[in-house]
Order: sequence, then structure tokens, then C-alpha cells
Amino acid sequence: MTDVAISTIGLAKHYGDLVALDGVDLEVPAGVVFGFLGPNGAGKSTLIRLLVGLLQPTSGSAQVLGHDIVSDRLALHRDIGYLPGDFVADKHLTAGAYLDHLARLRGGVDSAETQSLIERFGLRTDKVFGSLSHGNRQKVGLVQAFMHRPPLVLLDEPTQGLDPLMQREFIDVVRDYRDAGNTVFLSSHVLSEVQALADRVAIVRDGRLVMNAGVDELRAAARHHVEVTLEDRSDRAVAALEGLESVREVRNVGGTTSFTVEGSMADVLERMAPLSVERFVSAEVDLADLFLSYYGDES
Amino acid sequence: MGANVFTKSLWDQRRGLLGWGIGVAATILAMAAIWPSFSDADINAVLENYPSELLEAFNVQGMNTGAGFLNAELFSVVLPVMFIVYAVGRGSRLVAGEEEAGTLEMILTMPIPRSRVLVHKAGGLVVGVGVLGLVLAVTLAIVSPIFGMDVTLRAAGFAALTQWFIGCEFGLLAVAVAAATGRRSLAVGVPAAIAAASYVAFLAAQLVDALQWLRWISPFHAATTGGPLGPALPWLVWTMPAVGVVAVAAAAPVFSRRDIPG
Repeated sequence: MTDVAISTIGLAKHYGDLVALDGVDLEVPAGVVFGFLGPNGAGKSTLIRLLVGLLQPTSGSAQVLGHDIVSDRLALHRDIGYLPGDFVADKHLTAGAYLDHLARLRGGVDSAETQSLIERFGLRTDKVFGSLSHGNRQKVGLVQAFMHRPPLVLLDEPTQGLDPLMQREFIDVVRDYRDAGNTVFLSSHVLSEVQALADRVAIVRDGRLVMNAGVDELRAAARHHVEVTLEDRSDRAVAALEGLESVREVRNVGGTTSFTVEGSMADVLERMAPLSVERFVSAEVDLADLFLSYYGDES
Repeated sequence: MGANVFTKSLWDQRRGLLGWGIGVAATILAMAAIWPSFSDADINAVLENYPSELLEAFNVQGMNTGAGFLNAELFSVVLPVMFIVYAVGRGSRLVAGEEEAGTLEMILTMPIPRSRVLVHKAGGLVVGVGVLGLVLAVTLAIVSPIFGMDVTLRAAGFAALTQWFIGCEFGLLAVAVAAATGRRSLAVGVPAAIAAASYVAFLAAQLVDALQWLRWISPFHAATTGGPLGPALPWLVWTMPAVGVVAVAAAAPVFSRRDIPG
């Protein structure tokens, strides 16, 4: 097994004048969970569909587990698991029959592994796919992506529709899988999800990679929008925040102080602690906004 | 159910085949049931009053035999159209329908060459239409003695083979268009338009002497020239599946290379 799971060189996909992916150079080391992050429509699915051989690149090239995505598609398909962004199975088939069908098409799938995944995700296999909720459909998709224990799994927005309990189970499955020496490449538009799961993160926007970093670096760059209301409705919070480099855009409107914090919240909480805070609301800055504030001048 | 794409394609057709099989059998039964009262009437006296071109166009000469009656009433339009509609509907669904529904992309990320997926699906369609042909042959073999139609087993077999072939031609054309474009509307529309045009060409060739050459390009001529309920199988019938196979073979490299959009 090579040390590099995925490597792309100038990988591009155009649809006429529309540039879906614009010359992406990316290297994904083997044995990690790699998060591919970006707002909807940024090119995440396009990259994944190129990597699994469903789309042909307009220019550039890519190797997945050492297999060229155009000339070596068969070997590539043998070695990967794939969950599409919009996973659909035959609606007249039961989940179990569909998984069985895919397993036979693949060949060499250990049914004990499939059964263990079915149990971990709590999937009912006796119901026809058409009658399943979105979350249960997604579970079928996850089971088929992992059931043959491929060295690389590519998951397009894997947690869509999963309830929080299942999201946790999903995280455990992905971690176990990574710990066994495999690679997981997953896309998401939710920053916190990727932070919780990934070792490395690439961010895509308008078809271009704008960041490729360890998850710790990303966490340091994350921004939160904070609103603080003191019991006495005073603006003392404004003065308390003075001098903090991580704090920006401080405003006080109607007794509520709002500001954004970049990176760690530790300093802010330390300054707020003595002020008899009645209400403290912190929300992660939306990913799209984060991009706009970071890279707005580049576009 | 689905050990491979071929058996899955057959399994997918099971409901359609049941319904269409009943439809084909019922159509033949209904027409055969008319035969005893029809044969009592002096049909030749009635037909003498029609222009000979029309009699030829609708294959009406020889309606005084059971085979001739079925050739005119069922095998000149009704059954070929039934086989074409079934084959085009299923053929377009097997590839483009699955692609539009989103189930094809999973199959195309399995370790199976796309060309094999296409061959399996085309094969599933050919066998599916063949099952319908078998229903036709068996139904004829059963109803012919009941209603005294004197249709030989050999003639019934040739007629079934001919309907199977015309279904294969247009069904495989639908598979080919679906594989090349991924669009079900085109996969239905293109073969349907060609079928309609070739029926018009067939009629024109029958009615206008100057246009007789058109018959050679019309599958409807190929499908009726031997009766199709007749003592021999004309070589022309083999052109029908051949055209379908060539169309799928031409579409295969396009299918292997093209994008599968999400």
C-alpha cells in the first residue's frame, strides 16, 4: 500500500463555460480521515465523482490508491467504497436484498462484516427501500460503502439525515476504520462535523482549494459570533474585551454586546467571568461567511 | 434475485412481463375467438370490392385461412406494436431510467466494466422480450386447435421469432440511445419516431410503386414478409436483431467514456 491514498494534479472539470472544479492539486495521505469542506455548490461532489470514475476530467489527472482514475477504473472500483451525495437504491427491494445484490456484484464480501455494520447502524433490513426514512436510506448507503472493507472509502456528505445518535455511531465506525489502517475521504459543508472527525481538512470554494491543513490549524482559525447580556444591561463588556487580539467587531446595542472571536474562546471567558453575565450565546460563524471574510478579497 | 446485472435486469422485468404476457395472450385469444364466426362468412366476396393495393397493404389476401386471418388482424400492426412498446419502455428504463432515478451510479462504481453492465442489461432485455415471444408461441399453439385455425407449430414459432426480433431491434435501439445519452425521453422518443417512420415507409412502399424500395429499410416489411405466420422464415428477419446489436455496440464506447451526472 502506498503512503498516498489520493493525489490529484491540476484536476479540472468544466461544463461548457461553467467551471465546476478548477485545477485542484491535492494529496491525501493514507491512513487518515480527510475532510473535504466547502459550501454547497463549491465542487465537493464534482471532485468525489471524478475520483470514483463517474466523471471524466476536462484536464489534469488523479491517482487513487495508485490507480489512474481514467485508465485504471476497474482496479480503482475494486479498492474503494463510495457513498454518493444522494444515495438511492431500488425502491422495490428490501435493504437486505439490495445489500446482497451489491455484495454479489462485488464478490468476496464477508457477510459477517456486513451484518456487524447493519447492527452498528441499527438498520432494519426487511423493509423495502422506498418505505425507509432519509436517515435509514443513508444507513444502507453507509453499510454498502464499508461492507467489503476497502482500503479507501469516499463519502459524499455522509451524515445527511442521520439523527445525532447515529452521527455518533458513524463517527465511531469511521474512527475504527481509520485505526485499522484505512483511509476515509469525506465531504461536508458543516465545519463542526469535520472538526470532530477529520485529521486533515481541505477547503474548497468556487472549484478551487483555498486551504489544506491539519484540523488543529482549522480549529485555530474558526470564528464564533458571541452575544453577551449582563444582568445590569450595561456596556461594561465592551471595556472588558479591550486589548484582546482575537476579538473583533465589538458592538453594543440595547444592552447586548456582540462581537466575533477568532480561535480560542479562553481569553474571552476569563474577561467575562466577573461581570455577572445573564446570557451568553456563542454560534460558529457560518462556513460561507467564514470563507467570505477570509478569502473575500481573492474572489 | 440478482447475482449479476443480467439476472437483475430480468428480475426488474418480472412484473412488466407478467402484465404484458397476459396482454399478448388475451389479445391472441380474443382474436382467435372471432375466427369461427368470421370463417363462416364468405370473406372473399366482401374483399373483392376493395382496391388490391389496400388488400396488399394490410395483408388481407388469404384471410380465408386461420393463419391469414391472424396475419392480417394481429401480426400486421397490433402485435409488432405491442412488442415494440414493451421493448422500448423496458430498454429505456434499464439504463436511462435507472440513471435518472440515481440507482445506476452505484452499479457503475462496482468493479465491473461499463461495457459488461451494458451487455448484461441488453441481454436481460433480449431475454425478456423473448419470454413475451414464448408466451405468444405457446398461446397460438393452444388456441389454434381450440378454434380450428390450423396454425402449424412451425408457423407459430416463426411468428413468435419475428415478433421477438422486431422487439429486439427497437428495444436495443432504446438501450443504445439510453447508454449514449442517459436520457430516458430520448431513449423512448428516438426509437418511437423511427418505428413510426418505418411504418409509414412500409405503407408507402405497399401503396406506391415508385416507393417500393422503401420496404427494404422498413422493419415492418421484414416483420411481415414471411406472414409472419408462414411456412418459412425469410432471411430479412435477421436484419432486425442485427440492427439492434450494431446500435448497442456503437453506443458501448460512448457509455464507457461519458460522464454519469449526479
